[in-house]
Amino acid sequence: MIKLLVPIVLLLGAIGGVVISDHPLPPSSYTFAQTTDLFTLDPQRVSYQQDIRMSFALFEGLVRWDNETYEILPGVAERWEVSDDGLVYTFHLRTDARWSTGEPVTARDFIYSWERALRPDTAADYTQMLFHIAGAEDYFNWRSEALSMYSALPDFERSIDAALGLRARSLERFRRSVGLAAPDPYTLRVVLRSPTPYFLDLVAFPTYAPVHEATVERWTSIDPDSGRIEQRHGWTKPDHIVTNGPYLLKRWRFKRDARLERNPHYWNQDAIRSESVTMLIVSDANTAQLAFQTGAVDWVEDVIVDYLPEMLAQQDRGERNDLHKAPAFGTYFWSFNCRPTLPGGRDNPFADPGVRRAFALATNKRDIVEKVRRQGEPVSDTFVPPGSVVGYDADRSLAGLSFDPERAREELERAGWVDRNGDGVPDNEAGAPFPVVELLYSTNSYHGEIAQAMSVMWEKALGVRTRVVPKESKIYKDDLKTGDYMIARGGWFGDYGDPTTFLNVHRTGDGNNDRGYSDPVFDELMARSDAELDPDERMRILAEAEKRTITETMPILPLYTYVRYYQFDPERFRGVSMHPRLMQYLYELERIE
Amino acid sequence: MIGLALKRLAQAPLIVLVVYTITFLLAWALPGSAVINDEGRQPPAAVLEAMERQYNLHDPWVFYWEYLEKASGVEYARARLGWTQRRSEAPVFDFGPSLRHQDWTVNEIIASTLPVSVALGLAAIFFALVIGIIAGIIGALRPNSILDLLSLCLALIGVSLPSFVTGAALLLIFPVWLGWGRVGGWGQLTDMLLPAFTLSLPFAAYIARLTRMGMIDVLSADYIRTARAKGAPERTVVLRHALKNAFLPVLSYLGPAASFAMTGSFVVEMVFNVPGVGQHFVNAVLTKDLFLIMGVVMIYSTLLILMNLIVDLLLIWIDPRTAV
Repeated sequence: MIKLLVPIVLLLGAIGGVVISDHPLPPSSYTFAQTTDLFTLDPQRVSYQQDIRMSFALFEGLVRWDNETYEILPGVAERWEVSDDGLVYTFHLRTDARWSTGEPVTARDFIYSWERALRPDTAADYTQMLFHIAGAEDYFNWRSEALSMYSALPDFERSIDAALGLRARSLERFRRSVGLAAPDPYTLRVVLRSPTPYFLDLVAFPTYAPVHEATVERWTSIDPDSGRIEQRHGWTKPDHIVTNGPYLLKRWRFKRDARLERNPHYWNQDAIRSESVTMLIVSDANTAQLAFQTGAVDWVEDVIVDYLPEMLAQQDRGERNDLHKAPAFGTYFWSFNCRPTLPGGRDNPFADPGVRRAFALATNKRDIVEKVRRQGEPVSDTFVPPGSVVGYDADRSLAGLSFDPERAREELERAGWVDRNGDGVPDNEAGAPFPVVELLYSTNSYHGEIAQAMSVMWEKALGVRTRVVPKESKIYKDDLKTGDYMIARGGWFGDYGDPTTFLNVHRTGDGNNDRGYSDPVFDELMARSDAELDPDERMRILAEAEKRTITETMPILPLYTYVRYYQFDPERFRGVSMHPRLMQYLYELERIE
Repeated sequence: MIGLALKRLAQAPLIVLVVYTITFLLAWALPGSAVINDEGRQPPAAVLEAMERQYNLHDPWVFYWEYLEKASGVEYARARLGWTQRRSEAPVFDFGPSLRHQDWTVNEIIASTLPVSVALGLAAIFFALVIGIIAGIIGALRPNSILDLLSLCLALIGVSLPSFVTGAALLLIFPVWLGWGRVGGWGQLTDMLLPAFTLSLPFAAYIARLTRMGMIDVLSADYIRTARAKGAPERTVVLRHALKNAFLPVLSYLGPAASFAMTGSFVVEMVFNVPGVGQHFVNAVLTKDLFLIMGVVMIYSTLLILMNLIVDLLLIWIDPRTAV
């Protein structure tokens, strides 16, 4: 019997050991729940919204947005001047901006960080944001080229010294050729390659935030094989990270939680409304609901439960008041493959803009939003969400194709697809029926329901046959990149307050142009807008470019503007911005006591 | 016993190598790119290419060997001996970076999540033992009585109800309605009760049936009749004489059960927001996070080999006849 007890005692001992190794912290000023963990805290590498939000809590750039109006406010720079030709920006840094070590933040820190964002070694998703600086793109390409030449060298010529030599040459080139200068520690002069009216909006983005050189360099090594500078990410952990923003990182546990506390060295102490913040990762949306109900969580940053429509109905009946809807700076759409042929040499009927228009006209977006989604998204005919960019399409005159089955059939006939043998399916002049329309989407989401609804609409209005093609997300992404689809689900969120954050996607050869869309007229309009100095005229040209894509060439079929539901008790929590760009400053949120 | 332990330990690296190779072949064959984000922006093509080179994703042969050298400690040994010029503070067994969770190494991920899953799994097995053995004894003492049927019913429910139903129901009843415990937290002993209980149900059901069958067999054996004839009280007969032998099949089931409980907690981890390793089995494959897949599988297979060994040794210690 004693022997039997031994395994049980062993069991209990192991459990106890794990529990004891946990150290709870005192409760924080507020707690919020988010679904996914942070991917990275390295501001030069952030790409996902939750990472960007955390970056704003820890780091401060030269300027920042007012997250209610998206005006530009001073950050580390207390003022700045722009030259008359719009090419030279001179930032004057405040002298009381400090790192969490107490050292001053200087212009040198920014130059170091921007070089870091620009070098291909860092693999920043947003590298291209810095290409607006004169010489930046050339520098990126030069270093990429130099690295691939280096790795082609014979073994004996590659060594740590050789790699360090390449690094020194790169930095020398950066100093000479990229339009950045620090005449004194508190002045930063930036020369752009062409006037960029939204440049300050970009400078507020984390890619442009400073990092603490000594700390980052301690976690940097050089790889003698490839010549690349390798970043080990230990520097973003609580024990090591040095920040200059409102908060310090006290704790970050993988897929579990993070804890922020007031940074005593931050210059603008008055801006911090909450002493400490806990971010709780709750991967299951339903569990997040229960946590909110029990009061363990003050704010759910994205309500994504399947029963959201029922919760919205409760809110309509006045049974709850904790759901807060913000229109998002993003558009849900389906992509038409615009390439002339599909892989394997199959003909692509959607290469013809007339066919794309026909399918767009045959789509009843209102039904999709009201009967399938039931989450109150506004129907959209445009790619840039209406009213989201100041000065763009101010009179709301941009209108795309809306539901008109009659016109849809006419468009299809004009494109040469008529039912010639009376079987109900349109045929081309050679008598071949319209190929079965394939709708590609990624599984595990609501896209399937929308695909089903659209197939029925198209079968009914156009007589075509359809097939839904659900694929696991990696394969879906692969098919999208290789152009192996006819129609595929898509979505896009803007990054900065300018229509180009959306419209650039349609440029020929753009890395995110999954449609293979290439239109000389559109490209020409975009190039004209790049060169245009007058802001009003520029917006007009951009609107003309967008109009073409939503009424004539239709690379995408916009369905609705995304919405975001925040959940918090309005009597107990405040400070959440309802602006479409969805950016929350964690230090501006607070619990009402 | 020591001979058996040594032999099994010597086999372990071979088994892990086979597991490594098979996992590598399967993971490499996963469709899609490991470095492309599923949603959102793509960095310039030069960046993607550089990343593929950095992680040896352009050549399966190089990847297979270099990763094996790092994970097995060979690379570390070479660096310590000064055979490579790479300056590195890498750990002895370096499972590489996570491609998706960029700021974490696989070593860090496993170090933070594995103890949680192990503790949860062991707690579940503990619950399963307590519930299962009590229910089994009750059933065996009065076969086909109301109590026996009731425990059979509960066992059936335990096996058939999926844990996302039981889990959600328990969460709703205890923390939400009754206000006992908390939702979404982890770190206090009480946080472990509900998830461990949920996870234990299928195991408890099986243990209950095993105990009941074993007890019914044993209770009709000659030595039990002898014990009763000597006038030993029923309590002693059941708990000391009968249970000891009836427990053996349960004990040999504990090895695989503990492994299952530690690996199969994906759903329970989701529902109760437990920061364990179970979800990474699934998510790493979905996102083709090669290093994480390989690291988690290797660590886990090592752990399972050790668990099975411990249970086998325990079995021999309790009942030396099984050594034969």
